[in-house]
Amino acid sequence: MFILGFLARRLAQGALIVFLVSFLIFTLLRVIPGDPVRLMVGGMAPDELVEQIAAEMGLRDPIPVQFMRYMGGVVQGDLGQSFIRPASGAAVGGAQFDDATRSERARVLTLIADTAPFTIQLALLSMFFALLVATPIGVYGGLNQGRWPDRLALYIGSLFVSLPNFWLGIVLALLLSVHLGWLPAIGYQGFAYTILPAIVLAVEIIPFILRTLTVSVAQIMRESYISAAYIRGLSRTRIIFAHALKNASVPLLNLLGVQFSMLLGGVLVVEFIFDYPGLGLLTINAVLQRDFPLIQGIAIVTSAAFVLINIIVDLVSTSIDPRLDY
Amino acid sequence: MISRRSFLATSGAAAALTHINPDFFINSAYAQTRKPIVFLSAENITGNWDPTAHTTLSQKNIEGYVMGFLARAPMRPDNPDEMNYELAEAIELLDGSRLQIKLRSGVTFHDGEPFGAKDVKATFEYGAQPDRPAQWYPGPTDSFEVTTPDDLTVIVDTSKGGYSASLFIFLAAYLPMMSAKDIAGGPNGPLSQRLNGTGPFRFVEQRGNDTILEAFDDYFKGAPKVAGVTFSFVGDATTRILSMMNGQASIIERLEPEQIDTLSGRDNIKISKLVSVENKYLWFRCSKPPFDNPLLRRAACHAIDREILYEILGDAGHPSSNFISPIKFGYIDLENYPEYDPDECQRLLAEAGFPGGQGLPELEYITSVGFYPKTKEYGEIITAMLQEQGFPVTLSVMEVAAWNERLYDRPGGGPGHMIDCGWSTGSPEPDLVLRTHFHSSSKRITGIVDPEIDAALDRERSAGSLEERRRLIQEDLTPMLADKAPALSLFTSVMVHAIDSSLEGLFLFPDGSIDASTADFV
Repeated sequence: MFILGFLARRLAQGALIVFLVSFLIFTLLRVIPGDPVRLMVGGMAPDELVEQIAAEMGLRDPIPVQFMRYMGGVVQGDLGQSFIRPASGAAVGGAQFDDATRSERARVLTLIADTAPFTIQLALLSMFFALLVATPIGVYGGLNQGRWPDRLALYIGSLFVSLPNFWLGIVLALLLSVHLGWLPAIGYQGFAYTILPAIVLAVEIIPFILRTLTVSVAQIMRESYISAAYIRGLSRTRIIFAHALKNASVPLLNLLGVQFSMLLGGVLVVEFIFDYPGLGLLTINAVLQRDFPLIQGIAIVTSAAFVLINIIVDLVSTSIDPRLDY
Repeated sequence: MISRRSFLATSGAAAALTHINPDFFINSAYAQTRKPIVFLSAENITGNWDPTAHTTLSQKNIEGYVMGFLARAPMRPDNPDEMNYELAEAIELLDGSRLQIKLRSGVTFHDGEPFGAKDVKATFEYGAQPDRPAQWYPGPTDSFEVTTPDDLTVIVDTSKGGYSASLFIFLAAYLPMMSAKDIAGGPNGPLSQRLNGTGPFRFVEQRGNDTILEAFDDYFKGAPKVAGVTFSFVGDATTRILSMMNGQASIIERLEPEQIDTLSGRDNIKISKLVSVENKYLWFRCSKPPFDNPLLRRAACHAIDREILYEILGDAGHPSSNFISPIKFGYIDLENYPEYDPDECQRLLAEAGFPGGQGLPELEYITSVGFYPKTKEYGEIITAMLQEQGFPVTLSVMEVAAWNERLYDRPGGGPGHMIDCGWSTGSPEPDLVLRTHFHSSSKRITGIVDPEIDAALDRERSAGSLEERRRLIQEDLTPMLADKAPALSLFTSVMVHAIDSSLEGLFLFPDGSIDASTADFV
């Protein structure tokens, strides 16, 4: 019963958040310079034609009217049709106003469904790399607060957080792909193409995991129940793995939830540098081409994913620590 | 101490490890056999495959692999008029208004249809329709007549239009030949869905940003040696360079000068530099004040020291003093081409009623960043030079989509007062630039309407012979354009490609298109 009530409450809150995000994005897109109809019809089309097509598409109606019409489609699972991209999914330049393939524009949902798996794969792999590196260093640092393992975690975190991802991406591509020839770097022809961008993203995440783990493990190791465990005669290994890490995992889980959501929406630069065909590259091209429906669709899907991931994280956290109340 | 259970678990894991194929995780970027050519383009495509529906250079380059042409023009500076026959065996002027084209036999389209005179007739008649967006023909369909005495002979008669049939000669090297069957389907038919040509590579599919082409074994000059061509849009210049350096890309285009330095020292990469068909222009908005006044346009031209631009551009720019590239038919270094002359600039400003630039409105100069090399850098220099002479100019640097939105003329004049853009057409034909931009029936960017320029353009179009036409272009039309200055051609672009050094047999045309029919990785 608790679960049902929790889910109903959080899903309602999530729907409100997605609605507000959608309205914000929808409004912002319509007030920035750059008329998408001008891009669609081509520079040489007369202004009257631009206005005619804009009116036919409803783009000259008041923004609230446009938004409600759009949301009417969204609740039925229709995120609309790209202004620019053809059904093949290619990023295209400004077409002519009498472009015969106009009716063949790609569905936004299809474009997102085609690219999201690549970004999810990238996000999961970068999370895996980040945990692989940060967990042992962070836990060891937390168990040895004030000593060199703690300082090592701090230094690594400080170093990694200072590296700009575009710079790191280029340097790693030069080193691991150009000079050593170990990894492919550009585009996507198979799983191996995910490794380099995942490493770059992992370097971005590692400082946050390190900090969370060192602090929470150190804090838990000072708790009275840990001292009591020693008195009860439990081994240090058992105390760490069965008690300290289990309790330290709650803040880590929250952090991972937020980071994973951020990865889904925040891989723009890395995907652009590596020409990785995920949501980030799709978003950049959509913004450059003022492809309103696509930008809106991506914003809705990523904000919905953000909400869902956080609901799941909260649910899991509650099962680990029943005292938590969301 | 090792227990039986832990021993079995460890040895089982070790055995499993030996069965994991590490290639799934890591595979060399170099491990390929008979790989296709991978071309990384700086420009995206339009999404409509009809060759008459666009003027987009990247898509023209794809057509260069797939489509067949009556002839190809190598367009080298030492012989800009050279034409090599391809689908045609002979192109001959019967008289001033009749051109005869004899076709090669035994050629088929990629869909298996035989190529013949009907296809040339259909291509000409369809492409010249006034509603086709790519307006490359000297006149609309009703201004010429195409007859086909037999399956391999085409006669173009331009007497109805009153212009010379010789205008079709250089166009023969530029117009991709379409199938009459496809054309019969109209603009909404198969033409817009895919490419179907007679070229060395067959269009397979558009996969995201990759255009997949494969070798056409029945190509009339022999099957290509490479497996195919993957033509990909990669918007970021650094990404293209990295792809070239790690061996993933075979060819990349539009290198910046400093990128040429980065790549030229590497053994696995060769650099190709070609004086291109593309001139870069500073276009004036001639249909609105203040640049509707030719005195002010000339004054602005005399304020610009192009020698400084050449220094900024390095290998990416070639000096020229005309409105067409040196590899176009009719090029000549114009004696009256406006050069840097501050005194003349001030004299013209005063004559126009704006001494020292006083009284001029605020002017906007629009340029793009991310496609052409160094546009922002030399845009800032031009802005400073204009300001030095009293022009109150501000520079607006835009990403390509926003710039493209503002590029063309509109009723009342296009946005801003000056805009930077190049114009590239893969044919020696000068009218693809001159008439397109300066005749009042087209005036794409400048918006100029000048009866004297129209008359000069019509005179050279109607010349009875190529020699007469050359004379009119060099002595009549282009000197007049230099006087009226609807635009200032800043320089001719140098097309710079980086190519995998193991890839041999490519022929690069100065518009960026490539003949890869005999190319191979050695």
